[in-house]
Amino acid sequence: MNQTDGTLSSKRVGQRKSSTGRLHVSRRHALQIGVPLLGLSLSDMLRYEAAAAENERPATRRSLIVFWTDGGLSQQDTYDLKPDAPSEYRGMYSPIQTSVSGTVVSERLVHQARVMDKIALVRSVHHENGIHAPSSHWMQTGYFGPTLARNAAQKPSLGSVIAKALGSHKPPMPAYVTIPKSEAFGYQGAVYLGKAYNPFEVSADPNAADFKVPNLSLPAGLSSGSVDSRRTLLAKFDTLRRDIDQAGVMDGLDTFKRQALEMVAGDQMRAAFDISAEDSALRDRYGRHRYGQSALLARRLVEAGARCVNINTGNWDHHNDIEKGLDEHLPPLDQAIAALIEDLASRQMLNDVLIYCVGEFGRTPRMNGHAGRDHWSDCFSVMLAGGGIQGGRIVGASERWGGGVHERLVSPLDLLATIYKQLGVPLETHFNDASGRPVSIVGSGHAIHELL
Amino acid sequence: MFRFQRKARRLPIRMTSAISLLTCCIASLLCESANSQNVQSATEKTTVHFGTEIVPLLTRLGCNSGGCHGKATGQNGFRLSLLGFEPGMDYDAIVREGRGRRIFPAAPDQSLLLLKATSQMPHGGGKRLDSNSTEYQMLFDWIAAGALSPGKTDPTLQQIDLTPETQVLTAGSTLQLSVRARFSDNTYRDVTSMCVYQSNEPEIVSVDTNGLLTTGTQRGLAAVMARFGDQIATFHTVVPFTSDASLLEVTDRKLNELDKQFGNSTIDRLLLQQWRRLGIVPSEPADDATFLRRATIDICGTLPTIAEVNEYVADQSPDRKERLIQRLLNRPEYASLFALKWADILQNRGAGYSTSQQRAGTTLFAGWIRDSLAANKPYDQFATEIVTATGSQSENPPAIWYRTVRKPTEYVESVAQAFLGVRIQCAQCHHHPAERWSQADYYGLAAVFSRVGRKGGFADAEVPTDEIIFVKSSGKTVHPVTGEILHPTALGGRVLNAGPYDDPRAAFAHWMTAPDNPFFARTMVNRMWAHFMGRGIIHPIDDARSTNPPGNPELLDALAADFASGGYDVKKLIRQITNSYAYGLQSEPVPGNAGDSQAFARYYPRRLTAEVLLDAFSQVLEVPTVFSGGPGKLPLGTRAIELPDENIPASFLDVFGRPGRMSACECERVDAPALTQALELVNSAEIHRKLTASEGYAARLAVDGRSHAERAADVFVKVLGRPAQPEELEAAISFLSGESDQAEAYRSLLWSLLATNEFMFNH
Repeated sequence: MNQTDGTLSSKRVGQRKSSTGRLHVSRRHALQIGVPLLGLSLSDMLRYEAAAAENERPATRRSLIVFWTDGGLSQQDTYDLKPDAPSEYRGMYSPIQTSVSGTVVSERLVHQARVMDKIALVRSVHHENGIHAPSSHWMQTGYFGPTLARNAAQKPSLGSVIAKALGSHKPPMPAYVTIPKSEAFGYQGAVYLGKAYNPFEVSADPNAADFKVPNLSLPAGLSSGSVDSRRTLLAKFDTLRRDIDQAGVMDGLDTFKRQALEMVAGDQMRAAFDISAEDSALRDRYGRHRYGQSALLARRLVEAGARCVNINTGNWDHHNDIEKGLDEHLPPLDQAIAALIEDLASRQMLNDVLIYCVGEFGRTPRMNGHAGRDHWSDCFSVMLAGGGIQGGRIVGASERWGGGVHERLVSPLDLLATIYKQLGVPLETHFNDASGRPVSIVGSGHAIHELL
Repeated sequence: MFRFQRKARRLPIRMTSAISLLTCCIASLLCESANSQNVQSATEKTTVHFGTEIVPLLTRLGCNSGGCHGKATGQNGFRLSLLGFEPGMDYDAIVREGRGRRIFPAAPDQSLLLLKATSQMPHGGGKRLDSNSTEYQMLFDWIAAGALSPGKTDPTLQQIDLTPETQVLTAGSTLQLSVRARFSDNTYRDVTSMCVYQSNEPEIVSVDTNGLLTTGTQRGLAAVMARFGDQIATFHTVVPFTSDASLLEVTDRKLNELDKQFGNSTIDRLLLQQWRRLGIVPSEPADDATFLRRATIDICGTLPTIAEVNEYVADQSPDRKERLIQRLLNRPEYASLFALKWADILQNRGAGYSTSQQRAGTTLFAGWIRDSLAANKPYDQFATEIVTATGSQSENPPAIWYRTVRKPTEYVESVAQAFLGVRIQCAQCHHHPAERWSQADYYGLAAVFSRVGRKGGFADAEVPTDEIIFVKSSGKTVHPVTGEILHPTALGGRVLNAGPYDDPRAAFAHWMTAPDNPFFARTMVNRMWAHFMGRGIIHPIDDARSTNPPGNPELLDALAADFASGGYDVKKLIRQITNSYAYGLQSEPVPGNAGDSQAFARYYPRRLTAEVLLDAFSQVLEVPTVFSGGPGKLPLGTRAIELPDENIPASFLDVFGRPGRMSACECERVDAPALTQALELVNSAEIHRKLTASEGYAARLAVDGRSHAERAADVFVKVLGRPAQPEELEAAISFLSGESDQAEAYRSLLWSLLATNEFMFNH
């Protein structure tokens, strides 16, 4: 990782030990990691000290693939069935056995049932909001913040935190990608981390026959020959002395201009996004639908250097006739997740890629009068696999018919702490918000040790 | 030493002298390697006091920092007040809460507090304390003596004195600071080894945990803060650029020449004084073409045209600079550019509302700001009209400020940051960690706005728009901790009395705009200085505090005094700054000022801001950007610097750092480089459209009958504001002659110049 790509780990950027053992952050690197040079607070200093200890730890190779269930996935029809409850709680699906003795899931999750020994479930996630937007912010960032009336994002999403803290494995591949676009009510962005850590949006359906990434394609009429001559001319004319800029902005732009030209004219990015290079049988196993091909693309992107790929799925907001909605969306999601797990395992990559399926909340344990389920954040489920997570584990439990947390309440920040820990982002990391106040990436959260 | 202390614990009378002795030992050890500063010995004392000894110790060890137990939620159930500003709460947390298990007077070394801090039991914060350290012993003694609570008669900390307060340091040297604390019972204690230290420029001077300073790789000004308990003291230093005799002579000669050359301009004189202090040589003056481009961008957010370049370069009259600046200040683009800056600061925000309903408001407010600037409305009047605005937001545009600024916290933080240059946010929840601001200051300022009333207005599910702002006859603000009702209070000062028929905001505005106000004029001159000089005299510009001192206090004071006494004339202020010698310097460093980024010994380049950059593309390529403005499109030819709010879609502006107007902080506008910016240049539809438009400059160039040489020469002046160098012209001609597709060849030439740093930066 070079020093000017702007997407560097907070624990490594621009720091050096002085003879006194105190870590310093240079002006140039302060710009890149967003630390105001003046007014470094004590907690900043402690953070750097903590980061210094982290320096000894080898950098992790791990990446994250998120299946975001936009709108809220029903826990009782998927990962936390209540077969003994009355029918209005039980819902329409029967339980099926999985590869883990004693663990049952919904009959619509036949594929994941097969690989349940590699999957961990948390059945006791809890937060305290039942509205899409604030809840999305809570689950994406770990923090409650915006309301309907004041809806601006306040904290960075997990993908942006990972992008800022770890950077891309192989620039110019972006560190953080969303497929097809960013969702979650606008809360998948970087906010005060800086726009450089917003996701790169694929902006196209990988299952489409003519799948092509608009941002990586040259505008109509511009040939790659022209790009080459522009690159040559730029090198000739871009001769302003670089030492006039002590702030590192010129160096950064230079690097990014080279990368951008490389992205649109070079082969690396095009190759990474060229899903047609995959074996047709494998593409079939993932499923010839948006979720399946998105999962396959996500695997290609993490192989090519991305740190966090977020696949937005749904919408899962099934207030009416939930069976119809789930019958349409669940089987392809199930197939995509299971195929990804099996594919990664067969490539010896499962330990390097953490898979996480989550939405803003779950759905009411009792069905409503429209054969649907409404918003429910008191107790819902998420799925994790790979990335050092112990497969086959179940953490926490809901009450007998669902509803509340029966045991082991898990907060949104606990989930983020678990993910950051597995990816090697130091949990002590703080980033300064717009007012200069250092904000912890995990706040009161703790990694879920039962999963590790 | 360790054993002796343990014994001393059982002999309270001898203990005192043991600790004094020990302090002296440690102090003298610390001083060994340093210039031997005279460290005061401790005076007589008998008990370990919680407030004056234990709390500062917790601060020094980092226990109560914002990342650990000091954060609002505490850490693992143990919560201390941030940096020890609430000793009573800390005492309860340590002695009473947690079922009293944190201390164990019968066997102090078994106290959880000590077992955790020494990492004998697992501790998330790691080992903070050695069991044979003085700090450990102090905690041990305090627990052993029964963990005495802070008593009413306990001496309280009055002040800390740091010596030396200021000193010039030569490169490669060290200096030991010494800190003495004075208590209410008139005792003194050396607390050098008990303080927390921070340098604001660690690359210039770093400081270790015991107050030993070491100069770093860079030269310049630095300040080092020492904190003990709730007191702060600051050491100021200069590390001169030149130390060896021969260079010093050259520097002196150069500075003496300038001394003779300079007239009586305050800025020139005070910068020269600073350069002498720093032993730094300024760069050479920039050439005319560079200065023209620089001033046109900084004042008008616009590039000079080919005609303007030719005319200015040909002008050899001695007052050409002054006349240029005056011309620029009279152009409408001046008002547009600075209206954009103020609309950011005043949070004229479009996002979050129903667009069609609110754009009328943002447009009105933007227009009012622009008119005020064009008319050169005195700055005190401008600020007063905003802060005291009443009436309908559709009829009195400054009242629109109250649309995005709605809550007590927003009133306080916006006013403090926009007009007083102070970041007071911290004091909403706790005492400011590096300033004197307390929650009483914060809520006293909030009380100024406690009678702001609102009625009417259109509201969908979001924020109301088009309200009527009025002054209620009553309204109160209470201190969140003490519950006391707070009177409207000027920041750091007096209570502003206002009867039921008076507007407390008027009294506040009167205080704020008085010529002797310590914040108002200084904040504005610093803001404008930073705009033109690339860095504030106080940096960051809206973070004035004793621990973040101005780099050139005499200059800041002189500019502020002149601004306030001269009727808050903004254009005059701009003329003073842009006519200064320093503003006209090259950005290229010379031997003797390499590495300077705070003495204004050269012009600091910066990337054109998002709006100015997009407009620059439009201007060169002669293809305006099409902006959709809510219900319809904004008139064709609308420039990005003229947009009323930030909610007008333009991905170019977003990736190049257009701020979201979420706060009054100019820091929201960022110039951090990003891959998306480069992608925008390389393959965005907008840049491609501007290059390929049939009526644009590129298309016209291709069919222009002139020679490649003539056309290429024009292109350089148009894009870069200067004539091409011979080798550049040659390269361009050889490229153009070798291409068969002339239109594409000219597009490529233009693109490659537009993508240079020379174009994208003001330098």
